Amino acid sequence: MGVFVFLPLVLPLTAWPVARLAEQHLHPRTATRMLTAVAATMATCSTLCLGLVMVVGTAQLPGNPLPDGWSDPEVRAAVPYDEVAGRAAIPALCAVVLACARILWRHVRTRRRAHRALAGLPDTEVAVLPDGTPYAYALPGTVSHRDRVVVTTALLGHLAPAERRALFAHERAHLTGRHHRFLLAVRLAAHANPFLRPLHTAVSYTTERWADEEAARTVGSRRTVATAIGRAALASRPAPLPTAFASPGPVPRRVAALLAPPPAPGRWPAVFTSVGLAAWGAAAGTAVSAMSSANSALTLFSILRAATPL
Amino acid sequence: MSEHGQRPRRRGQGELEALVLSALREADGPATAGWVQERLGGDLAYTTVITILTRLLAKGAVTRERAGRSFAWTPASDHAGLAAHKMRKVLDAENDREAVLASFVTGLGPDDERLLRELLGRSGSEGED
Repeated sequence: MGVFVFLPLVLPLTAWPVARLAEQHLHPRTATRMLTAVAATMATCSTLCLGLVMVVGTAQLPGNPLPDGWSDPEVRAAVPYDEVAGRAAIPALCAVVLACARILWRHVRTRRRAHRALAGLPDTEVAVLPDGTPYAYALPGTVSHRDRVVVTTALLGHLAPAERRALFAHERAHLTGRHHRFLLAVRLAAHANPFLRPLHTAVSYTTERWADEEAARTVGSRRTVATAIGRAALASRPAPLPTAFASPGPVPRRVAALLAPPPAPGRWPAVFTSVGLAAWGAAAGTAVSAMSSANSALTLFSILRAATPL
Repeated sequence: MSEHGQRPRRRGQGELEALVLSALREADGPATAGWVQERLGGDLAYTTVITILTRLLAKGAVTRERAGRSFAWTPASDHAGLAAHKMRKVLDAENDREAVLASFVTGLGPDDERLLRELLGRSGSEGED
């Protein structure tokens, strides 16, 4: 099988150009869905590959609980550099599992704590907090709590009535679109394979853009949403954000996108445009990655089954 | 008490804070710690009431002013104020809050502010064309 076994670990490198093209050219809804699907597929394949390499590479180690037949030279021949790769795969897989478990745990804990903090307030969709720090966010519901929009009086004070409507529409779009699920999925994927990190950054941006577009549709004015974002960002300016890069941050890009004409609704574009190349490239990369992983998995599985004494 | 460990005790403190705060709210104007203690039926030691009031003061939930040799306490905030304080604690504890809660805007980079003002200024000057 040769080095093809390792392909799913490296293929996520294709994510970087794809993420850039998709977030710039596709409709944010399409981009979010596509990039999340790409990230989830590639992360699953890469983790599966890691697990299989670990099984084959460690079967010959003394004291392992795996069947003796699995340490057969013929089985090990299926994975190049099996000893090194197998041993390296153990800590890698442990790190992936630990990181993902930690992310899930913190996600659940923060949501629960935030709902608990609001427990004393009336059970309305919008929770206005008397706080001097301007902030607003969408808090997805849990089993026992409803979806809520949390906003402080300081932020509302900076916005005109129409801009407030834009803010609420934006946060509601996050909730109705279940954007937190996309964000959680890409975050997990980015920790399963570090090459997928650009997809995490891209989806964080495209979900915001998606909510911006929904808000613009709801309030009927792109400029209102743009000024709401601009004012909110300038109001919460003292928030320290050490950035090493001089490239514009997500907020000015969002405002610029809203001041530009609306993006075309999500249809798959023709192949011979930069947009089409991004979309189809991503689809092809994902397909190749998935197929190569499935191929590796099936081959390793059948070898292992043949080597298992019954 | 101590063998119960940390968790049950901490929750107990939260309940006591709510208890003391609601007692204070029933007072007509500023009340002393002794009045609060009496109001709560004398279950709590005077020092405990003082401790809880001090903690509420640190949270900004009550204010106090000197009245003779002791302090007179006034509830500063209602439920919303307390919720705001709790929420700040949740957000501050989450050093990477964008990870969980998608906030309306993220912070601005060094050049972002100038860029943003330019964009908004241009949009404003184009006016209602």
